[in-house]
Amino acid sequence: MKKMESLRDLLSDKSNLALRLLACMGVVTCLTGFSLFPLPLFGQGLDGTFEEAIKQSQKRMVKVYGATAGRVDGYASGIVVSDDGLILTMQGVYLDGQNTRVTLPDGTTHSATILRRNRSLQLALLKIDVSTPDFFPLADRPVGQKGDWVLSLSNAFKVADGVEAMSVNLGVISLRTKIDARLGSRDVAYSGELVLIDAITSNPGAGGGAVVTVDGALVGSIGRVINSSETNTRLNYAVPVDTLNRFVRGELPSDTAQMPKRKQGTAYLGVRLFTLGGRNQPAYVERVIQNSPAAEIGLKPDDLIISINGEKIGNIREYELMMKSISPGDELIMIVKRKRKLLRVTVQVTAKKS
Amino acid sequence: MFILKKWLLSFLLLLLVSIHVSAQEGSDPLKAQGDLKRGLLLTPRAFRAAVAKVQPSLVTIESFGGSSTVAGKIGGIRKQGEGNTTGLMISPDGYVVTSSFNFIEQPTTITVITSDGVRRVAELMGRDDTRRICLLKIDDVRDMPVAEAVAPDGLRVGQWAISVGVGYGDKNPAISTGIISAKQRMGGRAIQTDANISPANYGGPLLDIEGRVIGICVPMSADSRSLAGGVEWYDSGIGFCIPISGGEDLIEKMKQGQHIQRGVLGVKTQDIKNREGVRVLNVLPQMPAANAGIAKGDILVGLESIAIANLVDLKTALERQYAGDEIEVVIERAGKQQRLKVTLAAPVTEDSEDVSSVLPSRRRAQPKK
Repeated sequence: MKKMESLRDLLSDKSNLALRLLACMGVVTCLTGFSLFPLPLFGQGLDGTFEEAIKQSQKRMVKVYGATAGRVDGYASGIVVSDDGLILTMQGVYLDGQNTRVTLPDGTTHSATILRRNRSLQLALLKIDVSTPDFFPLADRPVGQKGDWVLSLSNAFKVADGVEAMSVNLGVISLRTKIDARLGSRDVAYSGELVLIDAITSNPGAGGGAVVTVDGALVGSIGRVINSSETNTRLNYAVPVDTLNRFVRGELPSDTAQMPKRKQGTAYLGVRLFTLGGRNQPAYVERVIQNSPAAEIGLKPDDLIISINGEKIGNIREYELMMKSISPGDELIMIVKRKRKLLRVTVQVTAKKS
Repeated sequence: MFILKKWLLSFLLLLLVSIHVSAQEGSDPLKAQGDLKRGLLLTPRAFRAAVAKVQPSLVTIESFGGSSTVAGKIGGIRKQGEGNTTGLMISPDGYVVTSSFNFIEQPTTITVITSDGVRRVAELMGRDDTRRICLLKIDDVRDMPVAEAVAPDGLRVGQWAISVGVGYGDKNPAISTGIISAKQRMGGRAIQTDANISPANYGGPLLDIEGRVIGICVPMSADSRSLAGGVEWYDSGIGFCIPISGGEDLIEKMKQGQHIQRGVLGVKTQDIKNREGVRVLNVLPQMPAANAGIAKGDILVGLESIAIANLVDLKTALERQYAGDEIEVVIERAGKQQRLKVTLAAPVTEDSEDVSSVLPSRRRAQPKK
């Protein structure tokens, strides 16, 4: 794929014949007053640009009510994923009550049973005993790319009641990314890809709602409210539709919330860090132990460990976490700051002497 | 090929005009609807192309050390996240402009990863508290890709705006789209947008639809002069960016290690009933007004060719000036007008107390070869 430099280049790019044709048609339309364009793609009326996608989606969405416990909201949004009453919604304490109810777009309320939960993805699959002819087909591959328009539909703040339709927000896909890829980040227990969007969905009740394209195709399901430790802001994101598909088909373990057990850390580098200021301080080397791997590669006091194996080492805590994940014999690629220079060193760690 | 490009650009403009015209005339609602839809479906491609254009000059900033020990909040404001922040390369020899918010925790070491994946040590050169931006320098580089900036004069309220940042920890930047909501905000220093602006893109660029830089995303607040004022309204639909085009003199000052602050006159003033001007109630000793000979009872009627009718005028006129600037003040004393030269001072308490210990180095900018 050629890199597009600007809209102008986009239009002059030879691979974009269709675009250029469109532009030429625009000129003819403008000059002659006759439209060369075929009839509108879809949507009728003067400005119903998003109307079809919204109408179609709203027929496939439900309101979920569970138990209110303390400050935990007792409601969420949900999407219908089969014609026989399968509902995808947000996992949460609110589902632990005696009675979970689902309100369909026609205003009827039905008692639901919980078929399956996934705590790391924060998803739950519910079943109601009624036929649901309007449902979202679940694609088995990612839908939508960065910059695409998306509509988020949900019952945020419980604004809609009974037959009232879901609230809709317009935005774009900000990024498809693995939020938990960084060492030590525990914002989400899920390590797969999430779809970040710029419509605000991090509100009570929005979880389990739908994110759809302007064509009404499901991009993903709105995730629960989480605070990103990277930015100290709330994330607006969706769990991608292909992951939803695997969850509904039972291809994901029902509960993968357990974090991998931390290894005890038996790798030995041979440095002592400045720990006086606490473990939030940067990983400055205080002392290098003689005849250790660190001494062998020439680490010196006052060196600052910046990164190990591509992961930023922001402080001593992160250094310790990283060292725990490393086994004796592993080769580390370290970036170390010495005065104003960055050094890249490779070191093979040994086993801790007991 | 060049001529062809020009032609195609004009085609596009005409297409846009035709959409505009047909939408206005309303003669054929179906067609207008179709054109709207089509234009809308094309915009995501333009968004992506715009971001691809700026991406080579986007940098990731890593900070090490500092006062990140306060849980949840720092100095009463929202704490900075643990993640990396965004900056923008503005010169081939390695000057990076970014948001001062990114250093609110006073890091002892700053490194910058350029788009080619190379990490280098960076030095904080100077900062501009009136715009909440600062300048970093990475050494031993040349031919760094520099983003194209767009002059603020040509901007229109309602045009597309795209915010870009790497704060979510992915090398691939996250984007948010919206429009320019207002120009000339915050004493004419900022441009307002409804695209999401947050710690995820503070220091990153706000782009126009052609990928040119409108400005650098920063937190801003009308109520607070603290460097972090405004961060509590992140992602709210009220966001700000600082244009870099037209601010070259300020960038030059920051290269010299200067700390740009608002200018203070050192007078206490009051509106006057039934006439224009503001009355000087009190003159602070050793401050610019006193040094220039302004006295209690004088009436301020002008500042740098701007007529001062009331306190709001005075505030607006002063907001355009900086500490160290020599300005002309017009006063009335005993019915006679006098013109006085006043050299403005920096505020007594720094606006940036949060980061006051991160003193920019006084290293001179390297002379051009």
